Amino acid sequence: MKKTLIFPLSGLIILGVCAFFFLDPSQEKEKVELSLPEVLFETSGFYDQEILNDKELDDFFIVNFFASWCKPCLAEHPLLMELHANGVKIVGINFRDDEDNFVEWINKHGNPFFHIIRDDGTIAYEMGLIGVPETYFINNLRVVKKIQGPLFYEDIEEYL
Amino acid sequence: MKILKSIYKLIFFISVIFLSTAAISSENQLNDYYKTIRCLVCDGQSIQESDTEFAINLKEQIKKKYDNGITLKEINKELVSIYGEKISFTPSKNHIFLWMCPVIILIIFIFFIRRKYKYR
Repeated sequence: MKKTLIFPLSGLIILGVCAFFFLDPSQEKEKVELSLPEVLFETSGFYDQEILNDKELDDFFIVNFFASWCKPCLAEHPLLMELHANGVKIVGINFRDDEDNFVEWINKHGNPFFHIIRDDGTIAYEMGLIGVPETYFINNLRVVKKIQGPLFYEDIEEYL
Repeated sequence: MKILKSIYKLIFFISVIFLSTAAISSENQLNDYYKTIRCLVCDGQSIQESDTEFAINLKEQIKKKYDNGITLKEINKELVSIYGEKISFTPSKNHIFLWMCPVIILIIFIFFIRRKYKYR
């Protein structure tokens, strides 16, 4: 009886040793750290040729990806206007868009953005964008909240 | 003189073939790499098959980096650090224990059962 127990027991011990060495508990907790890439601060704006580094930013600001071809962006647009009216600084990033369409879109619907950057996809890639619209709430240069898809009133309530 | 000409011709053809295969192989390498990257907006597809804005942009960015001389390994590392491990279809070696677990358990069971039959 004891002899038959030796093999499963030794197997269990081997399993335990393997688990100890290969399963790193810190690995599971690891989440994707969202950080702000340098390209964001070094690309010049569309309306003024300044870069974001030279501009005066508040501790709290919002980065919003949008495009003129994107319908949900239009849906969240009134909310962005409201945020703008309340003095929140929004950095708009125009993602892979035609320049004429973009200018027309802004003229037609209004400009809630404090700074607009036209992006060919580089900034989007560095920031881990999945699709437009996407909004990043940033506090002290750290992403505190990320919302994929259009904003809703509940998302911005606390910042109004 | 004739021989020299033909040798030149031969060298020309060989170099053309060599260059074209080199170009094709780098293209293939990229295409094969695209197949290992998951498109995050379209479930179950790789970015190689997908035509979404996300996939197109990712392919462009990867190609740009690849053409700048960054190796696919480094690009993969960067992608995982940006999007997390879900972006890749090929799991990292950190999970080798997880993959080997059923095999180890199976071996233990076979051992156990074999001993049982031996004693009968």
